[in-house]
Amino acid sequence: MKHVYGWLLLTPAAILLVGFTHYPAAATLVDSFFSTGTAIRPSRFIGFGNYALLAEDPIFWKVLGNNLWFALGTIPTSIALAILMAVWVNDRLPARALVRMAYFTPTVLPMIAVANIWLFFYTPQIGLVDQFRALFGAPSHNWLGDPGTVLACLMVMVIWKEAGFFMIFYLAALQSLPPELEEAAKIEGASRWHFFRRVMFPLLMPTTLFVLVNATINSFKLVDHLFILTKGGPDNASSLLLYYIYQVAFSFFDTAYASTLTVVLLALLAGLALVQFHLVEKRVHYR
Amino acid sequence: MSEIVLEEVSKHYGAVRAVDGVSLRAAAGKFLVLLGPSACGKSTVLRLIAGLEEPTQGRIFIGGHDVTRLEPDKRRVSMVFQSYALFPHLSVAENIVFGLKVRRTPRPEREERLARVATLVGLTEVLARKPAQLSGGQRQRVALARAIAAENKICLMDEPLSNLDAQLRHGMRVEIRALQQRLGMTVVYVTHDQVEAMSMADRVILMRQGRIEQEGAPEELYAQPATMFAARFIGTPAMNLVALADGPRGATIRGAPETPVLAGPGAGRVLGVRPEHVALTGEPGVPGSVASAEYHGADTILEVRVGDETLFVRAPGRRELGPGARVRLGWKPEAPHLFDAGSGVRLDLNQTLPQPA
Repeated sequence: MKHVYGWLLLTPAAILLVGFTHYPAAATLVDSFFSTGTAIRPSRFIGFGNYALLAEDPIFWKVLGNNLWFALGTIPTSIALAILMAVWVNDRLPARALVRMAYFTPTVLPMIAVANIWLFFYTPQIGLVDQFRALFGAPSHNWLGDPGTVLACLMVMVIWKEAGFFMIFYLAALQSLPPELEEAAKIEGASRWHFFRRVMFPLLMPTTLFVLVNATINSFKLVDHLFILTKGGPDNASSLLLYYIYQVAFSFFDTAYASTLTVVLLALLAGLALVQFHLVEKRVHYR
Repeated sequence: MSEIVLEEVSKHYGAVRAVDGVSLRAAAGKFLVLLGPSACGKSTVLRLIAGLEEPTQGRIFIGGHDVTRLEPDKRRVSMVFQSYALFPHLSVAENIVFGLKVRRTPRPEREERLARVATLVGLTEVLARKPAQLSGGQRQRVALARAIAAENKICLMDEPLSNLDAQLRHGMRVEIRALQQRLGMTVVYVTHDQVEAMSMADRVILMRQGRIEQEGAPEELYAQPATMFAARFIGTPAMNLVALADGPRGATIRGAPETPVLAGPGAGRVLGVRPEHVALTGEPGVPGSVASAEYHGADTILEVRVGDETLFVRAPGRRELGPGARVRLGWKPEAPHLFDAGSGVRLDLNQTLPQPA
């Protein structure tokens, strides 16, 4: 009887989870082995046909490359900034609460709003960036229209948005460090930098691992800004994997190929998470 | 070289005077204990000496040099924290040589000092472990070892034994005292435990609300408490302090007018007698009735009602005295102390009556 009650209690949540998470995930995997069905030609099993197609799809490789550069460009910088800001606002300084809030504000804003703000910054001639450059007589530049600068522009914006979020985790971790540690180090003659490098940073490792995993996942799943800023352009120079999946599925209606791309994305993320846990765990100090 | 002098040092946090005009001198090579209840400012004094806090007023000298505005690492002092402040991600060995690495002591000397200090405090077996894998007593030793490894002449200790169990505490008391004497360190030791103060100190400074209440050798504080506060703080059970009243033949304990305990007036004065100085006697002792008896093994602590007051008596051995038993109390003529009830200050005892003994 006990089992029945247990299962009854679990059922509502289980239905939702299975219906909206587990079944779609499994269905996606299955769909990736079938062709996209149309009214005339129903879907049929084609084995790894979609994967073969993917291997030869230049846009896929382009987008994957973009995404890797994007991750590489945003994650370390935003983590470094987050630590810097956290250490800074953890100190006794005037209007500390205000500074903390200011750093956290970008996190609260929806990505769509952020993208709209930065759209104004990057607008040629009248945007903030160009206005500022004009002071020094530099020519106007189409920041988001140039394949050479568009990805970097997006990275700067995402760092601006993410760093404050990660700062909160570091701030919490810093506040759990006993203040005697710093005092003991001070008496032993350690400089602030030495203390940071030898004590604070190693003790923040669990937080760093957590933030690293989240940042990696975010760099693959956060694409809202592309809808506002570039739509992946020009010439897919700013397109990311998830945005490409969206395009394939809902603009080109090639659901089978979109499923294939999704499976690849998930495998990639799972692989990255495993590697991170494995590598970093060796150097993480858990109390 | 390692004498510490504080001149009229104060530390205010807003309106709160954590330390209020404290002057003291810790002689080189001696063990000085700062004793007092929590929030009396004793830890703040220690942190001021260490340089972790800056005094609001006053000056601090170490070895004759004014260090009032000097950074902690320039003061050449070691410190043992109440929480030990060990670096949890470093091994015991790395914790001990942390300061030596910072100060770029050459490796051979570092190794040599590590080996010596580890032997000294008995940590040789656990050098590779992390602090989390150690017992409380071992962690305490690591903190001690780190302080010693720096080879500073001055060591500051902030309630280092308060996280240990009673048995371990006794062992560490003996060890710390032995280490201090062997290495000739100047130790300033903060505690709220009067047993630690009495057993380890060369000199004790009793603090209360940011000020020094009394300073002296442990036996002075025990034998000549300057105030009622000092009398109550030193000794277990604490000194009996009973209010006196005027009587026809001298001062009597309030509510017990038959037996005078002191010559002269009683009102406004407080008599102090240590429980270990009170004996159960026959006539003509002070009559009282037992309220409770607590057997401690070597002795029995009796709680005795005399008039309106209660006295504790430390009677040797086991006493089969139930509640309500009638007893008579007496003490030697030199045993009692006398205090002013208003100010709490010690009064001269020259008019003491010879007591029923």
